[in-house]
Amino acid sequence: MEGLLEIKGLKTYFFTEAGVVKAVDGIDFQVGKDESVGLVGESGSGKTVTGLSVFRIVPQPGKIISGSIIFEGEDLLTKSEEEMRRIRGRKISMTFQDPTTSLDPLYTVGDQLAEVIKEHQRELSKKEAMEKATKLIEMVGISEPRIRVNEYPHELSGGMKQRIAIARALASGPSLLFADEPTTNLDVTVQAQVLELIKDLREKQKMSLVMITHDMGIVAEMTQRVQVLYAGMVAEVGETHSLFKRPQHPYTEALLQAVPRIDKRKELRVIPGNIPNLINPPTGCRFHPRCPYAKEICKEKVPQLELTDKGHLSACHLWRDLSLSGA
Amino acid sequence: MIPVFLGVSILTFTISNAAGDPLAILRQGLKSVSPQVIASLRAYYHLDQPLYVRYFYWLWDILHLNLGVSASGTPVADKIGPWVFTTLELQIPALLLAVLIGIPLGVYSARHPYSKGDVAVTGFALFGYSMPTFWLGLMMIIIFSLYLGWLPSAGAAGITRLWWGSELGDRLAHLLMPLLVLTYVQLATFVRLIRGNMLQTLRDDYVLAARACGLSERTVVYKHALRNAITPIVTIVGLSFGSSLAGAPGLETTFSWPGLGYQFVVATYSLDIPMIVGITVVITVMLMVANLITDLVYGMIDPRIRLG
Amino acid sequence: MENKGPENILNVDQERLEKRREANQWAVAWRRFKRNKAGLAGLFIVLFFVFIAITSPWLSPYPQRSYQTLYEGEAGQPPSLKHPFGTSRSGLDIYSEVLHGTLGDLYVGVGATIIAVLIGLAVGSIAGYSRGRLSDILLMISQIFYTIPLLPLILLAARIFLILVAQGFGLTLILILLGVFGWPTIAFIVRGEILRVRELEYIQASRALGAGRGRIILRHVIPNILTPIIVTATLMIAGNILTEVVISYLGFGDVNTSTWGLTIQEGYTYIRTEWWTTVFPGLATLFAVLGFNLLGDGLSDAINPRLRD
Repeated sequence: MEGLLEIKGLKTYFFTEAGVVKAVDGIDFQVGKDESVGLVGESGSGKTVTGLSVFRIVPQPGKIISGSIIFEGEDLLTKSEEEMRRIRGRKISMTFQDPTTSLDPLYTVGDQLAEVIKEHQRELSKKEAMEKATKLIEMVGISEPRIRVNEYPHELSGGMKQRIAIARALASGPSLLFADEPTTNLDVTVQAQVLELIKDLREKQKMSLVMITHDMGIVAEMTQRVQVLYAGMVAEVGETHSLFKRPQHPYTEALLQAVPRIDKRKELRVIPGNIPNLINPPTGCRFHPRCPYAKEICKEKVPQLELTDKGHLSACHLWRDLSLSGA
Repeated sequence: MIPVFLGVSILTFTISNAAGDPLAILRQGLKSVSPQVIASLRAYYHLDQPLYVRYFYWLWDILHLNLGVSASGTPVADKIGPWVFTTLELQIPALLLAVLIGIPLGVYSARHPYSKGDVAVTGFALFGYSMPTFWLGLMMIIIFSLYLGWLPSAGAAGITRLWWGSELGDRLAHLLMPLLVLTYVQLATFVRLIRGNMLQTLRDDYVLAARACGLSERTVVYKHALRNAITPIVTIVGLSFGSSLAGAPGLETTFSWPGLGYQFVVATYSLDIPMIVGITVVITVMLMVANLITDLVYGMIDPRIRLG
Repeated sequence: MENKGPENILNVDQERLEKRREANQWAVAWRRFKRNKAGLAGLFIVLFFVFIAITSPWLSPYPQRSYQTLYEGEAGQPPSLKHPFGTSRSGLDIYSEVLHGTLGDLYVGVGATIIAVLIGLAVGSIAGYSRGRLSDILLMISQIFYTIPLLPLILLAARIFLILVAQGFGLTLILILLGVFGWPTIAFIVRGEILRVRELEYIQASRALGAGRGRIILRHVIPNILTPIIVTATLMIAGNILTEVVISYLGFGDVNTSTWGLTIQEGYTYIRTEWWTTVFPGLATLFAVLGFNLLGDGLSDAINPRLRD
């Protein structure tokens, strides 16, 4: 598979009054052409910040400290702001978690779509842009697009708003889409529809997808490969299917165990402890305070990513000795 | 809105009539008056009736735009008219200027927080709303009228001569200082508010999403962040106009600016009750109109508020 | 790993977490406040003025409203070593007047705010807890008092009552008036907070588990209300001082007690020849109000911080 996006050694820190928050502390991440990859972790794991770093829109007081982000052969971190703007929304797009807040409440849905369309296709007239916007609304499966195009976000349901957000992201035909928790704020019944839509559009537009989520169920359904993040660092990477069957990191195992299943009778196991402090993270392996298998070495040495199998990497000192249970 | 008007009018009416027998005060200007005249006056002004009855008579008059007769003899309504314009001549341009200058300054501050420019602007604004408006007027009079002699210090128009050559120039010269003072003081509030609001909106999700879509910084800041930041400002602008109007007595007296505020102070000193009540009513009506306009503008900007 | 049942998760841990969070909130806020230079400056200025106000009877060379310099042949003098702020033509030592005025103006500013807060708390709480008619009526009354053109009515009331009431009461009267017209802001905040807290999920859970109203008020409503009230009250003091100065300046204040506005008024008549009589009391007002504003802003930022770069 050809590489589309390759992140190496990314470090993004937030310089706050309370201290330096190491939100992303050395992450490698690859996405191939026409590939769907999951970026998984609890809140605070650094998955959203990684996405924002690619776009270089990390909000203050955040700053990308080091690393490289190679997209279509060029390092995004060396590009000028003007060049980045031509990439954002056009080559790489993003949808956000809460559709209510990611749309401007003061403008019609059509306005906001047309705005993005016109930004990347300056030659279009306002009318043409609106036409295209209407077609986009239709494409994301919203009925009566001609009426909807003149409505305001607050007049739409959560599911519809998220579809609009997707439409906006796809307006200029990007080759890579970051979907940040697209269904977390939606009703359960609508979640499936939106996921279907994303899958559908991805196929149609031959687009790569980065699925940012904490929900392993969504990962199972939507991704071919998955990367597990913990406290700003990579815990495990691998093909979805094999990662689910045989996880090679205790954190992944714990995530899988936390998914409620109807078919298997087991207790709902909660991961004990709290998300670590990112200003003063635990020494050695950041997961060790919550890990049921932790040994002395885990406190002392930071584990590096090791190849455990074909295309399968784990950052755990003990992966050889542990036989972890999958989903 | 109507209950507010009623409430204010009741309060004003009650308080002013608490001074005692209005006729006794009126009589001070008329030295020897026969008892029959007093009695008939009393009946005419319904002064033999209890307070609440008198209130309704008064309210009835008001609704017919009859504001009564001042202690000096002339009808209140005749005199108030020109005063309203004089006050507005000062208040409205000041408000407009404050908005036009304040908002860009606030936006600039919010986009470069804690920079040298921001500190300067914030400090400038801080002094503005910490100082008594009339005192700033006094300071300006001292500097520009007394020491430099560049500008007149009293009135709305020249009496002894025409400043700056023409009648128009004369009025402008008189207007300049009070206008600057009022503008500065209101501007201070707006700058602070816009800066605060924009610091918030610039961190909102739709701003981040807009950036992620590749929209230009100008579009993001002005079309999205600012427009969202402004909606609460509309209310504040209305309130600022209200409090500026209510504070008119101080500033107008300092500059001997013959508007409603100045005349209110004069009337209150001499306990000219119909005049006092009349001016208060007019000011209240102006405030209510301002509130109405504020609500309308708010509806225009924020589609969530519009009815239907 | 034990299985934590849903009943255990809800109330007990939440409450403990809340308590720890609340206790920490104050500590964190205080730390944040200490880092805010402007807020600290404001605090320092306010304390300075409070100190002056308290010590003014001993600190100032002349008693208040004393025209003694006239007899000393030193009236109408510009600032000098003996009279750092100069003297007025009528014989006042401006430096003393400013010092005495501090007490007068702080008295009114703080006192009026206290009254406004007390009334506002009462009205706001009732409006927040009752539903239907009572709440609506109270809201309407608040609206009326809020929309009233403040200065004209206060001037009028001051004028009327000063005729009726003995002279020494002047400042207290102004204080009461300002408080009586200033409570709606507090009432709105109190009502808003109560309504908001009522709807919070863990409160509803609390009540489902039998927590009484009193406990909820004590544990949850009051801490949430305290912070916006403290901030608003501080800023209110600033506003009240400003209003008081205008009132005295226009001649509607107490003629026998020194206030900054009163001194400025004396200076107005002779503004051509004695700028110092208007400048110094005004500067005092400016810095006092500035201090309270900075303090209020600092407190507000400490409690609801906006991220620094």
